[in-house]
Amino acid sequence: MIKITDLEKYYKTEELQTIALNKLSFEVKEGEFVAIMGPSGCGKSTLLNILGMLDDSDGGSFIFNGEEVINYNERKRANIRKHNIGFVFQSFNLIDQLSVFENVELPLIYTGVKKAERKRRVEEVLEKMQIMHRRKHFPQQLSGGQQQRVAVARAVVNNPKLILADEPTGNLDSSNGNEVMDLLTELNSQGTTIVMVTHSEHDAKFTHRIIRMLDGQKVAENSLV
Amino acid sequence: MIRNYFKIAWRNLTKRKVFTAINILGLAIGFGSSIIIYLFLNYHFSFEKFHANADRIYRIDTEETRGTVNHIPSVPPGLANTLRDDYDYAEKVAKIVWKENLVLSITKNTSRVKYKENVAFVEDGFFDIFSFPTISGGKPVLSQPNTAVITEKKALKMFGRRNVTGEVFKLDNDKVIEIVGVLKDLPKSTFLKTGVLVAFENLNSFNSFEAGESWYGISGGLNCFALLKPDVKKETLETALLEFPEKYRANDPTTKHIYKLHALNDIHFMKDYGDVDAKFLILFGIIGLFLIGIAAINFINISTALSSYRSREIGIRKVLGSIKQHLFWQFIVETFLISLMAILLGVLMAAIFLPAFNTLFNIELSLKTLLNVQFFGMILLLLGVVTFLSGSYPGILMSRILPVLALKGSFFQKNTKGISTRKVLVVAQFSISIILIVATIVVSKQIDYAVNSDLGFDKDQVAMLSLPKTIDKVQQQSLKGRLKNISGVKEVSMCLSSPGAATSNWYSTVNYDNRPEAEKFQVSLKPGDEDYLKLYDVSFVAGRNFFKKEYSNEMIVNEQFVEKIGVTSEAILGKKLSVNGVTGNIVGVIKDFHNEKFTRGISAMVFTLNTEWYSEISLKISHRDTKSIMADIDREWIQAFPDYIFEYRFLDDRINQQYRTEQRYLFLSKVFSGLAILIGCLGIYGLILFFANQRIKEVGIRKVLGSSVGHILSLFSVDFLKLILIAGAIATPVAWYLTEQWLQGYAYRTKIQWWYFVIAIVLVMLITLVTISYQTIKVAIANPVKSLRTE
Repeated sequence: MIKITDLEKYYKTEELQTIALNKLSFEVKEGEFVAIMGPSGCGKSTLLNILGMLDDSDGGSFIFNGEEVINYNERKRANIRKHNIGFVFQSFNLIDQLSVFENVELPLIYTGVKKAERKRRVEEVLEKMQIMHRRKHFPQQLSGGQQQRVAVARAVVNNPKLILADEPTGNLDSSNGNEVMDLLTELNSQGTTIVMVTHSEHDAKFTHRIIRMLDGQKVAENSLV
Repeated sequence: MIRNYFKIAWRNLTKRKVFTAINILGLAIGFGSSIIIYLFLNYHFSFEKFHANADRIYRIDTEETRGTVNHIPSVPPGLANTLRDDYDYAEKVAKIVWKENLVLSITKNTSRVKYKENVAFVEDGFFDIFSFPTISGGKPVLSQPNTAVITEKKALKMFGRRNVTGEVFKLDNDKVIEIVGVLKDLPKSTFLKTGVLVAFENLNSFNSFEAGESWYGISGGLNCFALLKPDVKKETLETALLEFPEKYRANDPTTKHIYKLHALNDIHFMKDYGDVDAKFLILFGIIGLFLIGIAAINFINISTALSSYRSREIGIRKVLGSIKQHLFWQFIVETFLISLMAILLGVLMAAIFLPAFNTLFNIELSLKTLLNVQFFGMILLLLGVVTFLSGSYPGILMSRILPVLALKGSFFQKNTKGISTRKVLVVAQFSISIILIVATIVVSKQIDYAVNSDLGFDKDQVAMLSLPKTIDKVQQQSLKGRLKNISGVKEVSMCLSSPGAATSNWYSTVNYDNRPEAEKFQVSLKPGDEDYLKLYDVSFVAGRNFFKKEYSNEMIVNEQFVEKIGVTSEAILGKKLSVNGVTGNIVGVIKDFHNEKFTRGISAMVFTLNTEWYSEISLKISHRDTKSIMADIDREWIQAFPDYIFEYRFLDDRINQQYRTEQRYLFLSKVFSGLAILIGCLGIYGLILFFANQRIKEVGIRKVLGSSVGHILSLFSVDFLKLILIAGAIATPVAWYLTEQWLQGYAYRTKIQWWYFVIAIVLVMLITLVTISYQTIKVAIANPVKSLRTE
């Protein structure tokens, strides 16, 4: 599903250049659940942004579903993204002006799904996430756990092949965190590939494989299955 | 999708109510003023459009050259008759002669009621040329002497009903005139301003020259209109008219005439002929657009500033697969909603302020005029332009940002240093405000200069009465004696007209020192009795005033006259002068005074005693108890002229009245600069509200480190003050150029002072500081512990 080879990314300021990713290579197979771990500043989030086609790399190769996407323009990337990738963020990133229903509906609007179909799918996923009763509420009216459930619902409503999760439990207490991890595990068992950045060894135990990073490089890899 | 855009837009707008209100209010003020300006322009450009044959109607005017070129909206009386009788170019030719303040009297229940009215004497063809229908729908006919046509309004005023055909009135206590038709009320947008039109044949007893067929001389109170045949071009007739002077007025080779045809639709704008200057109207239009522009700038500034609040939302949308176009349209829809609400509010504002505007300009603009396709088209266009102009820049800016940066909310902070678009726009706003303030100062200084300068004569406490035509020399003397006996009346003089703000100016050719050829310049003739120059305290440069009682043909000239002849003031004394068929000796030279508006220079003047031309009485009265003095004068006057209506005006009012147009411009420029500043301030307030919020943490840290409130205030204001200085540097030359251009229209004008610009800049700075300080002080005095916690 994902194959990156010698991926590089620099951050430049006027005086110095920081290397965020240093010739990083690895592969993620379809159906895998992979955790990426490492100390702050090791390049985890940068990696996730590039995998999500939200950011450019400065060198190397990135093959997604057998397609080299490294030189695609924004429009093409947006197109791949909206059909194939779902995102879950640490800070939920729900749009405050939209209700729960509308937040979840948004990806379907952008992929051009018809209205009746949208309603059906949003309701289905909200049922599944057990927040149907909150569909008319706005994000600020929900608890953190509920917000993250909405975010997960939004990430999966389009049936993406890949979910990228950036510390999905980072802003949640342990019971809400476990709930989210259970949700992700269930999605994975249904066939969705998941790449998750995390600080939590506890969360990492839910995955198949842990890639450990330091200073933009892969330093270790532990298989958990 | 579209519904979704509107829904989200509405939520965004209601979430940030203050900013939305600022945007709507600013734009509404801009739209409201523009609607009034549109109505105003529409009114001026609709003049004479209602005549069926408007495209074939022309006014024939004269370009007269005698030393200087004069544009006169008139022709020698004989021209009309010749063109009508001997040539084949025009279907109809008609003269119209205007007379002010004639007395119309009717008998009501055995008592006589008098009305003072302006009257137009028109030839019969007038109603064939123009489309002024009667209330019954037909075309009025004025072919018989002693007949008149009046408007509904006058009919109601005089008789209390509309259909007054067959009724009679007495014209100036002389002829009995029969009303043969009642006109529908005249629209304001026509040159015809009088509601009483009398057969041309009756003009003879008022002015035999205008009523006659002379080719020598022009009266400004006469207009000549022609309805050309369909196949005759304007140029064809103009070419034919080139030969008229040689053919019909060969005896006056020194005065060159060229007759010009001006299309009826254009005469309202013939500036040279004393009509409206279209330049000013266009300027108003530009100012209206400026106001909308300033409001649009607010919108852009506030939106781009707020976009950092929104960058996270945009980031998420992008992550979820939104493309640029979606975001762009989302933004356009928000702008559209704001503009739409602003237009509705603007129409409301226009409706509220229109009556005041109508009073100011003495016109009748109505919002009903707006109910047409053209206006709705214009509003739609305006809505579209404003929406795209102010929505597309923030829209493009926001849709372009990288999602990763947007999620971090870090994109827009980069833009706060260096020359940002926002700074350029703020400078543009400040510049417009400064230009308008300078313009206001200059216009008011010029009016001040014109009204309060020493005009060269004493205009204080002088009351002007009009003198009935029928009075003879003996009556004049007896009236003058009786008026002079009234206590409080210091001086009385009979004259043709006052020195300044003359009701009639009489220009004539002059022969100097028995020369056979007339001089190459015209003189302004000022008949007045021996007390005239004394009453107005005009000083003599050489010679003396007229000798009392010695009604010889003595003449007095002014310095301009002496200069034009090219001799000294002493040398000119005793020389012979022939004016208007009278020859006399020059006995005195007076110091120049301003006989006309400051737009015109001082002309050569000749003062004579010609009693038969007196039409006004000047009375110098005491400052004390003016009211009772005027009442005494009223009594004496009515005793002398029981058939007339007593009316007087003070000369200084009449002089101020000359600057009425300027006063209106002054008022408007005050209003417009006020509005520009107001809209600009709304924008500044919005920006500072944003900046203050954005920098709450910074202010907290600074306060922890010991910064004072004053220091924090300066932190926020210094940037704005710098922008105002830049705006001042840009606005100064522009304002200087524009106002200097305007002043060029005045022969006597005030000097533009450097401190006008300083005042404008300092004023804008002060207003900005006041606007800024409320928010800044609020942030500055906040507890730093609290402000640090906001992160």
